[in-house]
Parts: sequence; C-alpha cells; structure tokens
Amino acid sequence: MKKNKYLLLASSLGVFVLLAVAAVQENFLKDWRKIQATAKTEEGPVAVQLRQVINRGLNLSDRCTSCHVSMGPGEQNAAGPGVLTAHKPVVHDPAEYGCTVCHGGQGHATEKDDAHGDVHFWPEPMIPVRLSYAGCGTCHIALNAPGRDGFRRARGAYERLDCAACHSMDGRGGLLRPDGGGMEGGDLSRTGISGYDREWYGKHLRQSQQAARGPWKTSFAPITQADLELLATFLDTRVGAPKLVEAKSVFLSSGCLGCHKTGAIGGDDGPELSLAGLKDPALMDFTHVPGKESVENWFTEHFRSPSGTVTGSLMPALHVPPEEMELLNFYLFSLRRRDVPVSFAPKDRVRALQFGEREFATDGATIYGAFCSGCHGADGKGFRSPGMPAFPSISNPDLLELVSDEFLIETIRKGRPGRRMPGWDRDGGLRQPEILAVVGYLRQMSGVQARPQPAPTQALPGASAAGSRIYASACAGCHGPKGEGAAGPSLNNKVFLSIATNAFLMETIGRGRRGTTMEGFRTPSPARQALSDNEIASVVSFIRSWEGSKP
Amino acid sequence: MTLHPGPTRSRLDPEPVPRRDMLGLASLWSTALAMLFGMFGIARLPKAAVLSSPSKKFRVTLPETLGPGEVFMPAGRKVALFRDAEGVYAVSTVCTHLGCLVKQAEGGFECPCHGSKFSADGTVTKGPAPQPLPWLKVTAAGGAFTVDEGEMVPPGTKVNA
Amino acid sequence: MNPATTNTAMQEFWQNLRAAPRRIYETAFRSGKPVTDRTRSSFVFGNLFLHLHSVRTHLWSLRWSTTMGLGIASTAAFLITLVTGILLMFYYKPYPDVAYDSIKDIHFVVPTGRFMRNIHRWAANVMVVTVILHMARAFYTAAYRRPREFNWLIGLGLLITTLGLSFTGYLLPWDQLAYWAITIGANIAQSPREVTDAVGITEYFDPGGLQRLLLLGSDEVGSESLIRFYLLHVMILPLVLAALMGVHFWRIRKDGGLAKPEDADARLSGRERDTYPVFTEQPAKTYQLAAIVRGKTEVVNRGPENTVPSMPHLFYAELAVLMLTMLVCLALALVSDAPLKDIANPNIPENPAKAPWYFLGLQELVSFSAFMGGIGIPTIVIIGLGLIPYLDRERTGTGVWFGGPGGWKLVRQAVAYGLGACLAVEALVIRFGWLREWFPNVPQLIVTLINPATLITLLYGAYSVWLVKRYQSARAGALGLFTCFLCGFLVLTIIGTWFRGPNWVFYWSPSDWPRH
Repeated sequence: MKKNKYLLLASSLGVFVLLAVAAVQENFLKDWRKIQATAKTEEGPVAVQLRQVINRGLNLSDRCTSCHVSMGPGEQNAAGPGVLTAHKPVVHDPAEYGCTVCHGGQGHATEKDDAHGDVHFWPEPMIPVRLSYAGCGTCHIALNAPGRDGFRRARGAYERLDCAACHSMDGRGGLLRPDGGGMEGGDLSRTGISGYDREWYGKHLRQSQQAARGPWKTSFAPITQADLELLATFLDTRVGAPKLVEAKSVFLSSGCLGCHKTGAIGGDDGPELSLAGLKDPALMDFTHVPGKESVENWFTEHFRSPSGTVTGSLMPALHVPPEEMELLNFYLFSLRRRDVPVSFAPKDRVRALQFGEREFATDGATIYGAFCSGCHGADGKGFRSPGMPAFPSISNPDLLELVSDEFLIETIRKGRPGRRMPGWDRDGGLRQPEILAVVGYLRQMSGVQARPQPAPTQALPGASAAGSRIYASACAGCHGPKGEGAAGPSLNNKVFLSIATNAFLMETIGRGRRGTTMEGFRTPSPARQALSDNEIASVVSFIRSWEGSKP
Repeated sequence: MTLHPGPTRSRLDPEPVPRRDMLGLASLWSTALAMLFGMFGIARLPKAAVLSSPSKKFRVTLPETLGPGEVFMPAGRKVALFRDAEGVYAVSTVCTHLGCLVKQAEGGFECPCHGSKFSADGTVTKGPAPQPLPWLKVTAAGGAFTVDEGEMVPPGTKVNA
Repeated sequence: MNPATTNTAMQEFWQNLRAAPRRIYETAFRSGKPVTDRTRSSFVFGNLFLHLHSVRTHLWSLRWSTTMGLGIASTAAFLITLVTGILLMFYYKPYPDVAYDSIKDIHFVVPTGRFMRNIHRWAANVMVVTVILHMARAFYTAAYRRPREFNWLIGLGLLITTLGLSFTGYLLPWDQLAYWAITIGANIAQSPREVTDAVGITEYFDPGGLQRLLLLGSDEVGSESLIRFYLLHVMILPLVLAALMGVHFWRIRKDGGLAKPEDADARLSGRERDTYPVFTEQPAKTYQLAAIVRGKTEVVNRGPENTVPSMPHLFYAELAVLMLTMLVCLALALVSDAPLKDIANPNIPENPAKAPWYFLGLQELVSFSAFMGGIGIPTIVIIGLGLIPYLDRERTGTGVWFGGPGGWKLVRQAVAYGLGACLAVEALVIRFGWLREWFPNVPQLIVTLINPATLITLLYGAYSVWLVKRYQSARAGALGLFTCFLCGFLVLTIIGTWFRGPNWVFYWSPSDWPRH
C-alpha cells in the first residue's frame, strides 16, 4: 500500500509547486508591477497596485494607468522613463476621460499586447500613435470642412500673411511679441471649436494704426476681403487636432461620398464609412496585403488597389501621393462615430446630428469634389475602366453648351435609375441649394454657359424603319441595341428621356462631343457618310419610341 | 388503529396490508393528482407567451443601382435581396442545416459551418442542408419594401414596386 | 441557599467551561484517533462524508489496474470545477452586454481570476475524458453485470449530464466561439424538423422547434438563452449531477463494492500483504438489517476475504488520485490559457465554428445529416449502451480486463475494424462526396436515412452481429461494438479537430487554411 502514499506525496508536492509558480507569476512577474516599481514621486515610490480610470458616462474603465501611471487621476507627479512619461497637456484630461475614448485599444486589459490590441482575438487595436489625433473623431465632427484646394488656399493665405509671426498654432509660431516683449498673440490652435472674436480684423487694424512702433506698426498691414475670407475658412479648420481637417479635405476631394456615406450622407454603392476607423482586423481579409496585418496597411493597400484587396470591389483605385494617402488613412481612422452619451456630445456633433448642419462646406467645388469627382473625375472628364460602363464626361463644352441648367439639376436630382448615377434628391443626398451650387461649379469650371436652343425646325416623324436602321448601324455599337448603354451612356433611361429635349438630342447627334468617342454625325468621316437632319430626326424619334406614349 | 389479537407472528412475516385501503389509495392518488397538476404549471413556465425577439418585419430601401444578379444584404438582417426584370425577391441567409449565416460566394451562397452550398435562388447544391434557403415575403411599400423574415413564400414569388 | 452548593455549582461551571474545547472536539470526533481497526471502522461509518465507503475494502479494488482511479478522478475533477466555478460566479454576469467584459475582468484584474478560469476549463475537459475512460473501464471489466446493471444506467446519466454541463458552460463567455457553437447546438435540438419537414407534418407536430425554443427561450441566441444556459450550468445540471453521483456511490456500496472476479482472492494469494483476512469462517447470515431483510448479502458464503480497513488504505488511494487530478489540471492551466475569442457577433459566423473537442465527432456526423448525426445516432448509441447489461447476462470474465469470450484478441481485431471502417467511409466522403453530389435531386429523407453516419453505424452493427454468431456470446458482440464506437468517436473527433477548416472543408493541416 506504500504505492499510494508515494503517489499522494508526489502529487501533493507537485500541486504545491505549481501553486507556488502561479503565485509568483501573479504577484511578481506582471509587467505593470515591474513598471510601477520604477516609478517615483517626490514623496517616494508609488504604491504597486492595479490602477484605472473609470468614466461612467462614457462607460469605460481603462486600466491603462496601471502602466502609464502618471496619466492617472492625481498621479501626474509620478515620474519615470518610457511608459511613465506624463501625457502632454490636452483639453480632455486622460485622468478624467480615460484613454480608450481617444486612442482606441482595450481598456480592460492589463497587459501590453492585449491593451494595445495586438492580440489575435481582441478587436479594436489602438490608433497608431502617429495618427493619434484621429481619436477626436470618436465624438467630434468637424463641420463645414473645405475641399483640398479650398483648404490649401486658406492655409496659403495664413502663411503668406505670416500670422504665425505673432500667433502660435499647434505649438509653432508666436515668437514675435507685440508691444516689445509683452503679450504674445493668442493661440489659434482651437479657433474652429472655441470660436474667436469675429471683430478681430477691425481691432487689429486700430491697434496697428495707433501703434507708434514695434511689431504692431511694422508687422501688420491691411488685408484684402478675399484673404479675410480665406483666413476665416482656415481659422474654422483649427480644431485642436493639427491635421484632422486637412485630412478631411483630402477625403472630401476624392469623391468618396459619391458611393459611401459618412454621417448618413452620401451614396449607397459602397459600405457606410461612419465606423471605418473601428474596423476589426480579425474580420479583414489580409490575403493580398503585404507587410504587417494592421488596419493601416489594409487601408493603404485598399486605396492602392481596391479590387485586388476586396474581391469584386467596384471602387476605382486612388492615385494620390503618399502624403495624401497618409492623410486619407488618418481620416478613415477618425471615422469612429459610435454613439456618445448626450451629456458628452460636443457642440459640433449636436449641430451635425440634431440641426442637420453639413460637415462639408456647401460651395460647389467642395460638393463636386466630395460627391461627383469619384466617377466624373476632378476635372469632370469622366473616366472609363475595363468591364464597367464608362462614366461620362460632364465638363464637355459641347454638352454644357447644349443643356440647360434645368437639365443638369434634374439629372442630379433624379439620377439615372438602373445605372450607377444615383438621384441625389433624397434622404442622405443633397439639398436644392447644394445641387444648384454644383451646377454653378460645373459652369464655372468649364467656362461654358448654356446657349438658348432653337426649337426643332420640323416635327419629328413617327418611329420609322429608317430611324431604327440608322440607330442599329451607327449608334447601337456604343449605346447598345436597345439603348441600354454599353461603352456609351444609356439612352433608354426614363429620367434621361423625360428631361432631354428633342433639340438637345438632335444637336448632340449632329455635333457630337469633342474629346469623347461620340462623333458629330453631321460631318462625314472616313467610315461613314454624314447624316442629314431628317435622318437624325428619325433616329431621335426612334429613341423617343422607348419612352412609350410620351411625344 | 387497533391491534387485533391473533396468532403470534414472526417479525420477519410481512405485515398484512388490506387489499382495499380506500382511504390510503384516495390520499395517495390525490397527492399524485395535485402534484401532477402542479407539474403542468411548471412545464408551462419555460415557454414564454411572448418571445423577446424583435419584430421580424422590417422596411428596406433598395439602392437604386442594384442590378440583376447583384445582391443587397441589409445590415443586421438575415436576408439577401435581389432585383431583376420581374421584380424584387428576398432569400433568407440562415442556413437550413444548423442556422449559421450563409455568405455570398461564386454562383450563390455558401455556409461556413458545414459547407452547404446554395445557388442564388436558394436551391441546395452541395452539403448537408436539408432544405433550400426559403424565400421570404416581400411587400412593396411606397418605393420601399417590407420584408417579413418570419413568413415564407414559394420560390419564384417576385414583387414589383 | 446553601453557600457550599453554590460554590460547587460554580466550580463545576468553570470546570465545564475549561473542558469545553476538549469536549467539542471529542463530541465532534466521537471515535477518537483512528489507530485500531475498531476506531478506524467507526471513523468511517461515523462520518457523514465517509460513510458511503464500506468499512473494509477488498485488496482487489485497491489494485491500480482494477480501476486506474478513473471514477475518483472524475469526482475529483467535478469537485475542482465546483470550487472554481463558484469562485468564478463572484464576478461573472450572465447578461450579453456585460458577460464578455466580466470574463475579461476575471482574466485581467481579478486576483488569480485567470488561473481559476483556466483550472475550471481544464478540469471540465479532464472530467469529460475521465468519465469516458471510466465508462470504458467499467465496460471492459464487465463491471456492469448483475447486480450493477442499474448503476451502469446511472453512470450513463452522469456521462450525459457531464457533457451537458460542458456544453452549457461553453456559451457563458459570450464570444464568437460560444455564440456559434450554441447556435449550432440549438439547431441540432431543432433537427427533428429535418424528418418532420420531409414527411410534411411540421405544421402539426414540431418537437424540434419546441426543443429549440425551450433551450433558447427565444428565436435566436440572445439574453434569454444566456440566462437559461447559466441556470442550467450553475444550478440545474450540477444538482442533477450531484444527485446522480450520490445514487451512483450508494449503489456501489450496496452492490458490494467494485466488481471483481469470482476468484479474486485466489488471484491475490501468494502476494506479500500487510493485512489479514476477515470473515475467517463462512458466515451464513449477516448481522445487519436482520430484522426486515430476507435472504443474504454479498458477503454470505464468501469465505475469508482479503480486505483491509478503508481507513487509511482506501483513503490514501482516493486522496492520491484527487491530488494527481488536481496536479494535472493545474499544470494544464499554467501552460495553456482558456480560449476567449472576439465578442459574439450575430451577423458574422465564426469560420470554422467548432464546438468543444469532444463534440467535434458529433459535428462531423452532423455535417452529413443534422438529425441523424445530432439526434438519431446519439440516441441509438445511448440506448445501445443502456441495454448492454440487460443483453449480456453471462458470468464469465467479470472483473477482468477484456474479460469474456474473445477477450483481448477480439478487442484488437475490433480496434482495427473500427478504425478501418470509419476511416474508409470518411475517405470515401472526403474524396468523392455523397448522394447529393452524385444525384442532385435526391429527396432529403433518403439523405437523412442513408448517409455516412448511418453507414458507419451499420458497418459496426453488422460486425457486432457477426461476432455474436461467431462466439455465440452477447458479450463478444458488445465488446466488438463498444470498441468500434470508441474508435469511431476517436477518428471522427480527430478529423473534426485537426482536419476540418473553413466551410468544414478537409485540409491536411491548419496551415493550409485560406486566410480570411
């Protein structure tokens, strides 16, 4: 019977040893214990214990301060190297607001890999430190953001007028002290959020006129009205997050909203992007993404080659320089608009959600860039890619000369059902003044105004065998045998037929569109003879026959 | 109870039990009846009279650009919507085998759990699924459509706006 | 009042008070130190927790090879899960929006929380293994025979309850693995619909739908289901298990301890022993319960037996197994963390969605037919297992490993056949597909009835019938069938665990899985 006693002895000792190992692991080997042991305050070492920031309103309990001790409530004086460095001063004190609300990551964790989201099964990785300010997007929505060119012009004005000489912004500038070493100019980093004195120009001007010498005299000069507007635009983009609005401006000029929605505004073709920054890497396909399996790499690769990253994606590739790619990544990370408790919702978010204020500037250029340029190109010349119907050129002078503003407005409002052009007069679409602004921008961009069109000189003949025959030989190649559209636009589209006048159709066939594959049929080409007005009219009436009973 | 005098018995002899102990039987059967009735009540409890699950009907607006052969899956719902020349129809995306969600694949759907495959109209083409994916009831509702995930219709039923 | 009397009463009071600690000890442990056979005996039957043991234990039962301690190991594993489970209940919150976070809290901030959860998880796994092995032991030593037939059935109930406990525990972390495994499990409960649908009576008679509804409490896996699984896991099933365990142990005692061969004492003779036999003369009647029980108890006419006092011999053995089980659980818990995947997402199925490993054999069967694999065949197997003691009424080979006609040779053959048949069918299916791939329009009822799962079952059944004829013995058939099913379970579990990838497609290795 001794066997059993030996077995009992051995296994009991074994259990004791294992428990001891577990106890050592638990009580001595945790990283946060080691880190806290090196932290020092003026009063001596800090107590080694789990620490956390709890914010009931935001429903978070972040244990990040177990390692980042000095970021916890009342522990700013705990100094030490590396992770113990204090947070740089920010508006939202991490000791109050917690960490994950801005930085992402897993607040519940107490180990680095888990907390930073580098583990396999815990979603929500931290925002890369480089892009930290993207975290502002959790609560804030920058309103009225300009497009890329608008932003650059505005920033250009700020730099050209050298405001940074006296004013600091994002930690730079403000070296010149007016009144000879007196007060520096106000910090302009957050003017877009906190607002600023709208009378500043008048006051500056008076100061400058009254000053006898010093910077007020030498460094300030009257500013033109155009520059003042640019400065106002620029000051509105200063939301405390240096590159956030710039990133948004790139996004707004890349045509993304034509297919994607942010904040419930935009197209339906692509996935909604309001939560793009919270994408879970565990659910993403990294098969075709080189390098580390990070959300950031996926975004970059996806911009470079959408259909190579997501099978069947119809999104066109973006050809932008690397710094803009970085800004686009930055903006996507900032799209993390989860619900926030009402008491925490910032003014800008309330204004966007409750009062319907636009988060993009409502001038024609910005809207065109955000909604139209994805398909029609930044220059309006359209684009074609293999396997897809071509996106028509809309800045073509031959088009713009022929069509009335009403034609353009109706087209934008109703779209081309069945084709990729959606109607924008709907929930999540554009408002009437915005559509007008786009039409105005088209006219301004191309410099072509509508010419009054002559009424058709002759009555259209009924649908004739001739029209059908000519259509089949001359038009069907590009527009499809039934006008359903192929390389060329669809002609049997209900909306198209209802807003296109006969004169428009005849003139378009007759003159063609220069710069596109649509030739003018009034002039002969080596391949075929010219069409007479009668023949063109018969084609138009054939096209009209698709319309049903409508004359 | 009274003790009847009789012949002395061994303690190992069984105590005589009367054949018809009416009182005893009645009391035991009434206990059984009461307990049985109680058991019915207990058995009813685990099946809620009203289930906590949300309504199975929902309204959906199809993207205007949805063409034939393309599928639209409303977020958070277990439905795939199609539109072709004959109208709009909805196919459930809950695998009829063991309830996983099928996902879009080459030529139809496939289930990640046990490899069932379905064609785009729901017919089983491979794997253990016992039934085709059911078609769900769609009703046109002023430009939008109402889909009822709880009600099936015969395959081939299509609805026009 | 007489002052002297008062004085004596006071003295007595003080004396009693001083003696109280000693007396509390004496009254608690009435028999004194267990040093003689008499005090050892009263130590056992005077103690609520020990009196389920007989006072003396046969040496045959104490041999390691008799039981390998598997029953005690199962009990030990249960006790470990019980203790760690109760500890986990301090922090676990059974509501979908907080369940996952509470597990994370247990993992990260509860002192020893992660370790406890790991132990709980590993002890549960150990328990499943030991319960299955324990059943195999009872089967191969033919310990289910008279008078232990019904205890075999209770053991079967314990196996099912153990699996049920494990399955219900699987949902509680509310992660992807849990959510989709339970979705599959709940739909297996619904799978009788496969038959009722094929026959066309689901509208009137829908046991599958009712089962699923009762299990989930809702149409889909949600907060109702979580509460139900929690209730089953921490209350109902443990109570059932404890009750069944009580009966199981009590019956072992009433059935005269562990099964042993008729000639156990002869087999033991010649060994060096540190004990002496009792019942030196053949007792004709036992002294217990003499007043109301007719007949004889197990010890009558047994002659001298090689028994030793349970205290301490049996208790050393039991304690040793308990500590060994704990050692195994702790070691596994230290080495490997209990898994926790992403938080449950009802819109994105886990791919592949795998149940715990001991259900993967079933999942492999289920991938042929939900009803047959999930309900039909398990029911047949359970009924078959339950009938074993009532079909095998033979006497030879009781208490001996692989006892009975055919013996070890038959078992070896059955292992080869069991593995071979299962592998062959699996290979056929993996390589060539099954009916639906060959005849796309085959009716569902045919697939439900004729599928690889039923084919394997039939092959095993036919082999067993052949064995019964060949050896003219039900025991031989049972030996073959049980061995085959054990082998089938093994093969299917291994295939399900290591060779099935996304979409339940066969892969030689997980490294071949497509990245998703």
